Amino acid sequence: MLGKAPPDLSRKHFLIVEDYEGMRGILRDILGRAGATRIAFASSGQEAVAQLERHSYDVVLCDLHLGQGLNGQQVLEEARHRQLLPPHAVWLMVSAEKTAEMVAGTVESRPDDYLIKPITETLLFTRLARQMARKQALAPIEQAMRDREYLKALNLTEAQLANANPHAWDLKRLKADLALHTGNHAHAREVYQEALAQRDLPWAHLGLAKIHYLEGDFEEARQELEKVTRGNRAYLEAHDWLARSLDRLGDLDAAQNVLTRALTTSPRAPLRQGHLGEVAYKRGDLDTATRAFRRHVDLARQTPLKAPDPYLWLSRASLAKGDKEEALGILSELSRDLREDGTARLLARAMEIPVRFHTGEREQAARLAVELAGELKGQAPDLPAEALLDLAGPLMSLGEKGTAESLLTSLVGNHHDHPEYVERAKAVFAQAGLAAEGRDLVDRTTRAAVDIMNQGVKLAREGRLDEAINLTREARERMPNNPRLLLNHAYLLIAWMEKYGRDISTAMEARHCIEAARRLKPGDKRGGELLTKLELVGNDFTA
Amino acid sequence: MQAEDPKLDISTFLITSVHDMKNSMGVMMAYLQDALTERNSLPPATRDKTTQALYEAQRVTDHLLQLLALYKIDQEFYPFDPQDHPLADLAQEALARVMDLADLKGISLDCHCPDELYGWIDHELVFGVLVQALHNALRYAHGQVLLSLAGGDDGIRISVEDDGPGYPDFLLAQGDGRTRGISFETGSTGLGLYFAGVVAALHRNGQRAGRIRLVNGGTLGGGVFTLELP
Repeated sequence: MLGKAPPDLSRKHFLIVEDYEGMRGILRDILGRAGATRIAFASSGQEAVAQLERHSYDVVLCDLHLGQGLNGQQVLEEARHRQLLPPHAVWLMVSAEKTAEMVAGTVESRPDDYLIKPITETLLFTRLARQMARKQALAPIEQAMRDREYLKALNLTEAQLANANPHAWDLKRLKADLALHTGNHAHAREVYQEALAQRDLPWAHLGLAKIHYLEGDFEEARQELEKVTRGNRAYLEAHDWLARSLDRLGDLDAAQNVLTRALTTSPRAPLRQGHLGEVAYKRGDLDTATRAFRRHVDLARQTPLKAPDPYLWLSRASLAKGDKEEALGILSELSRDLREDGTARLLARAMEIPVRFHTGEREQAARLAVELAGELKGQAPDLPAEALLDLAGPLMSLGEKGTAESLLTSLVGNHHDHPEYVERAKAVFAQAGLAAEGRDLVDRTTRAAVDIMNQGVKLAREGRLDEAINLTREARERMPNNPRLLLNHAYLLIAWMEKYGRDISTAMEARHCIEAARRLKPGDKRGGELLTKLELVGNDFTA
Repeated sequence: MQAEDPKLDISTFLITSVHDMKNSMGVMMAYLQDALTERNSLPPATRDKTTQALYEAQRVTDHLLQLLALYKIDQEFYPFDPQDHPLADLAQEALARVMDLADLKGISLDCHCPDELYGWIDHELVFGVLVQALHNALRYAHGQVLLSLAGGDDGIRISVEDDGPGYPDFLLAQGDGRTRGISFETGSTGLGLYFAGVVAALHRNGQRAGRIRLVNGGTLGGGVFTLELP
């Protein structure tokens, strides 16, 4: 049985990412013994990303530690995020030890397999053979997911599961994730429960917990997650969901503990640092908050996750701490790091207004407020809610009532069913002694949003779909970040196609709306259901 | 702002040193393996001594890895990751690690494993236990070592047998290995067995946990190490 032949690698394209020259040679020689000739090398994370951008590889062998710069984990996440790998590609992470990120991180952060040093020929060949076969079998499903044909992916998964299959557990996990993604919670729950009946699998507990969370049962989510996190802080994604659940349950102390615990295991996780920052900020623990936001900024800077939010949070938390230099300094970093992003540049300048205002530089704040009034009004619907609230109070006090009003109108328009933001918008008016005016603006804006949606439904019911679509399309201009409106608009577009036939630009508009809504409310069930409906419109296969 | 108070106790130094030693051993093993690539052109005595040195280096590395894994398990951050794994691959990988040593010692190394056998294992941990058991068997065997893997309704069974003198009584009495058997006279630190016991216990299925067994006899008449996982 020792005579198992090495896999035939002669037609495969390899990329070896390894900073140590000696190791590059060792890996190349081993691969060469199985006939591999098409082998490219990268000696740093940045170089690897550049190679992945230019070429399509079948197998990537990547060392976790790559000296300075990006590490193997970050290269993998960027490659997954930007889809730099073909669907069948195999990613093997080479490491001196098994890390929590490789095993229990999110889908994006898990390599297909990991090889613990020392690497022997046998180890490399058994893993390569197995993973190449696995990825080859799963590639059509992966392709369907990339094409956003989730029902097709689900059907392919079921078809493979119908026969005895060496990848059965991968397929089961995939099936449940796909069902969850398309809003079919009942189906997903069934798969997770079946899996748990056979084995106590952390991912199945996590799946059940996600369903509880998405359905608003935060207490049940917490209980399910603690089955995984109790006694082991290596299950990172479970810790993230547990912190989210605790946050929603109002237990901020516990949420902060959970995040701190996960960060002890895996500190180089920008989003987790950001979540810690927000929880600590809410608790008034500003030292922890500023430290965490700083790490978020620094970790995300060189990745595709780079976005204005952590910069704004760091400025906000520094201001709350009375650290004016840092509050302003981070805004210059924002305009430098995201100079190609117009909204980010505007935010970097505008957020100077609250900093100047609260540190006694009223005149400078007022000058900026006048200077930016036009741009702020124009872009208000696209600005983040917290920033709108940061700006509205100072603008009101500085006499820029018109600008403040338009910012708050956008806030309420985008979040008409979000009680916290609505209350905070009213509070800004109350602070300025204009409580009645504030109530009036909020009522008017909320009613307008609700009216449009009701009107849309009514028109659709009467068969006047075109009118309904025009109504919601026009409203979308004013409320581009209102998830309910986006989904209603998508619903109408799909209904139109069900009646008149599939149409590419209509389908794209609908998809765009659903995806925007899901970015605002990740995992939203109705969004998933609409994705399914959209896929079915004009397609001849049945689910 | 208060700087975080770094807890610098002895265990911090122990762990960082273990990491450092493990890295050095890796470099050493790479040199030794390099020296052995042209094994047939080496004088036999040099070749044998180099192989023996490589074996000792591997043994130290295995121990260091076990210490690190035990530390992580104790500190609750070992990423325990049981998967339904093809056991023929596991056997092949483990045998590859000890083949040179078996050749050197003139010991024949056999393996029984059904092709389609799968088992729920954390690969790194079970691999560690298996290589350790094989090294141990090679150390005491006269001429034969047998690795066998089998499955049943209640889980999987992995056995390593040799034709040596068998385990001493004090080890047989110890049973599951988690009661420590440090013995400076025999040179046994008890680490290997303790590690095997911890790894077995981590593997659970419902109410059942894995276990290890030591007996003498078996098909080859020497020591038999068995890892049973539910």
